[in-house]
Amino acid sequence: MAGLTRRAVIAASVAAALSLAACGGGKQPSGPGGGASAAKTGFSAWALTGGAETTMKNSFATWTKENSSAPASVEFIANDAYKEKIRTAVGSGNAPTLIWSWAGGSLQDYVKNKNVVDLTDSTKELQSRLVPSILDTGKVDGKVYAVPNNNAQPVLMYYNLDVLKKAGISTPPKTYAELLDAVSKLKAAGVDTPISLAGQSLWPELMWIEYLLDRQAGTEVFDRILKGDKSAWSDPGMLEAMGKVQELVKAGAFGDKFGSVVADSNADAALLHTGKSAMLLQGAWVYGTFLTDAPDFVKSGKLGWGPFPTIEGGKGDPSNVYGNPANFWSVSAAASPEQQKAAIDYLNKAMFNESYVTDLVKDGMVPVTNDAAPKFKGSDQEKFLTYAYDMTANAKNFQLSWDQSLSAAQSQALLNNLGQLFLGRQTPEGYAKAMQAVQ
Amino acid sequence: MAVLTRRRETPNVLGGLLGWVYLAITIVPIYYIVVTSLRPRETYYTSNPLSWPSAPTLEAYRQVLAADFARYFLNSVIVTAVSVAVVVFLSLLAAYVIVRNRSKLTRRMFDLLLLGIAIPLQGVIIPVYYLIVEVGLYDTLWAIILPSIGFAIPITVLILVNFLRDVPGELFESMRLDGATDWRMLWTLVVPLSRPAIVTVAVYDALNVWNGFLFPLILTQSSSMRTLPLSLWSFQGAFTVNVPAILAAVVLSVLPILAAYAVGRRQLVSGLTAGFGK
Amino acid sequence: MTATPRVGAAAPARRGQRSVGTGAGSRGAGSPGPSAWLAAPALVFFGLFAIVPLLGVVALSFTQWDGLGTPTFVGFDNWPRVLGDPVTQNGLKLTILLTVATLVIQGPIALLLGVFMAGRQRYRELLSILYFLPLLFSAAAVGITFKALLDPNFGLGQAFGWDWLNQDWLGRPELVIPALLFVINWCFVPFHSLLYQGAARQIPASLYEAARIDGAGRVRTFFSITLPQMRSTIITSATLQIVGSLTYFDLIFVMTNGGPGNATRVLPLDMYLRGFRSYDMGGASVVGVVIVALGLLVSFLLNRLTGNTRMESQMEGV
Repeated sequence: MAGLTRRAVIAASVAAALSLAACGGGKQPSGPGGGASAAKTGFSAWALTGGAETTMKNSFATWTKENSSAPASVEFIANDAYKEKIRTAVGSGNAPTLIWSWAGGSLQDYVKNKNVVDLTDSTKELQSRLVPSILDTGKVDGKVYAVPNNNAQPVLMYYNLDVLKKAGISTPPKTYAELLDAVSKLKAAGVDTPISLAGQSLWPELMWIEYLLDRQAGTEVFDRILKGDKSAWSDPGMLEAMGKVQELVKAGAFGDKFGSVVADSNADAALLHTGKSAMLLQGAWVYGTFLTDAPDFVKSGKLGWGPFPTIEGGKGDPSNVYGNPANFWSVSAAASPEQQKAAIDYLNKAMFNESYVTDLVKDGMVPVTNDAAPKFKGSDQEKFLTYAYDMTANAKNFQLSWDQSLSAAQSQALLNNLGQLFLGRQTPEGYAKAMQAVQ
Repeated sequence: MAVLTRRRETPNVLGGLLGWVYLAITIVPIYYIVVTSLRPRETYYTSNPLSWPSAPTLEAYRQVLAADFARYFLNSVIVTAVSVAVVVFLSLLAAYVIVRNRSKLTRRMFDLLLLGIAIPLQGVIIPVYYLIVEVGLYDTLWAIILPSIGFAIPITVLILVNFLRDVPGELFESMRLDGATDWRMLWTLVVPLSRPAIVTVAVYDALNVWNGFLFPLILTQSSSMRTLPLSLWSFQGAFTVNVPAILAAVVLSVLPILAAYAVGRRQLVSGLTAGFGK
Repeated sequence: MTATPRVGAAAPARRGQRSVGTGAGSRGAGSPGPSAWLAAPALVFFGLFAIVPLLGVVALSFTQWDGLGTPTFVGFDNWPRVLGDPVTQNGLKLTILLTVATLVIQGPIALLLGVFMAGRQRYRELLSILYFLPLLFSAAAVGITFKALLDPNFGLGQAFGWDWLNQDWLGRPELVIPALLFVINWCFVPFHSLLYQGAARQIPASLYEAARIDGAGRVRTFFSITLPQMRSTIITSATLQIVGSLTYFDLIFVMTNGGPGNATRVLPLDMYLRGFRSYDMGGASVVGVVIVALGLLVSFLLNRLTGNTRMESQMEGV
């Protein structure tokens, strides 16, 4: 009996191993998921869902139709999931031909490890169409390694003009002092959460400290940090900015429940359009959220927008902007020469062509081309788009969000301590010390 | 023969009350999921979250089905069915060996499997990824199936061992006296008696594989290979989320397992009447 | 290859526990039991896809790697750095806290529920399906749901008009842990009650009859008959709960991402954030090894000390 069993088991194992090998002859994980021919001459891309997804879908589909010998295959992946996948993929040499990124720290990592291709000379045709300050973000050591691929995403203030008026505030605050004043007026009028803040997600809190520092001390403090000068964290300007955060929190500007408000379910935008808050500092994409979640609110004209308040006596240029200049495509160095060529062709010929820009504008997004302004005319979202575009084009400096510009370890520590600061569990000095301790 | 007779003297009032309270706690969030999936997107924030929508709509469901739902569904079914079948079969064999064969070797096997319960998925996913790539199975359904089997085996064996050991030894003895081989004893005695246990582990393993997210995420890339949990991506934008649609997708993905459980429960109950109460 | 048959039953060598000699684990004279080869396929799968990667993780813990370049060997450097990091130490404390709290809460509820469901209440069919529902939902689904329900502005508080529900549940460190415990238990009580339900059904009616004849009340019966008969299931369930808590990641990640601050940064989350956000694969692997070591220790101790690895049945002499 034992012998019979043993034989049966061995037979089964061998069969299993054989079938494994048979299936194993299948896919190698490089390039597009399409057929073998596509793998040779076409190219692949991974992009994020939402945002410019429709625009990109159309663009890639059109390209494939017109270039059947070099088809494009694209996968759309959700934000957090993408971050998990892409590092592994690039590191194992199995990245898609076009790699989506936010530039900044991760792009520098890619360049350091020679994972992406220098695009300075090969994409001159595309570069001529783009707003220079945005293109600059994709440069590392002066060379272009990443080109923008969607809309400008500056961070600006949104207002519920109705709630402001009811509290006796006729125009949105232009300076920090006016902001504090508005907060106390709103609280007196019974608005518990004058400023909506998605504290659970952490990065909305980052927007506050970025602007506060910039308005106070200009761009040089963070520039020093980017260059590796850790003493900049204790710069008086930085400590002042953190102190202002504490001031706002103590004044009850964000209410007492902001720690549970989640950005990805648009809960912070909801506070604004349901009238529970009067102000919100968020990215330009939230305008699209208002359009889908509360179209009547937008139509009725209750939604206002404007720049972050200035600080009297501050050194920062009021036209400076923070946010995501755009998202970027890089070309994978692990892709074959044919794939790279096809991808670069696509970048030059199809990116930000007529239909690309039209699609973006239709979805309420600001393209990063230097001739986009006339395209907004006649669109329903003309006022907002024009404003956001002008803000981007006229910005003396468009700085990428800190958590994208810094290295991974630094940005983790940054966000962590920031959360603690807002909760009142961290002091400005402690924050500076913690950041200086990060390798 | 029934194994647990109900006391007929005094009704268990406290127990009943607690049972109802717990039922409410269990049901409210699920009710929320169903109700929200029927709510139009524009009224999501302005209405009471637990209210029945004044204008219920199947729009969210329509969006889900239009977003290639059928293919993801099919992939999930294949992956789950194959994984669970293999896991239960192999684990049953292993549990049988561990319980009936008391050598040092089988003891060590059991200890080794205990080790497997504590392995955190996120920690080992990178080595698993490289392993799958080496074997050439990246971006296939096998890439999800094989590691799922490997990781499900320890818990399944542990639970089956727990149930199997209570099969009375006399039954084995009497079968052996009749000249039955171990193999025969397995199929004619052990399997029927441990049907409740088998159904339990089958449903539990099926749930884990069906809802498994990490393996499909890292080990596949084409949308043709995606499973249901990844289908939620279609409704998760970079910064915004279509909540009713996500919850509609959730409801649709839960229904098959619910059906499987409802059916499996029948097996559970009928398996008991063949039990070994004395 | 079969084990050497041992003459005489296993019984004499294993005295000291109540259950002796009649369960499936006792073989009687001269029967070696089924061939160990039957377990081979299971072990092959497990070994290949679980043990081998685990060895990979152990190896990685001695390297420095950011996921992009090639790993460089750094010996033991990562270990003191990670183990001495207050964040990780806090993670260990949190993990233990969560584990103990889960055991204390989930265990009794699941036990009572399981025994309750094993009886013959009316609507038992329907109730058991309803109680089972939470288990069906993925972590992503549960996370989205509870984040919405716990939203201080638009959640349950608004639904019922009870202001005390409008707390900053996920934002305040002292509130987030109870909130998280609630959600985790909501998810997992069904599974364990299923285990207990199965075990409770296996208890022979004759034992209960005997107790009733002796005049024992409900509570007394529960403690002197039901509980002891379910001993090994209780231990198995406890093992699964403890080890499950050690490795539990999905829901905590979706709901709090380790926050606020580090208030919910349990070890598995610490491992994930180190590896996939800070790109410190070596450090992440160290935490991974710690988790496995803890889990192994726990399940070993639980099973050895309580005699759960003995394969005799509970039902001697019935």
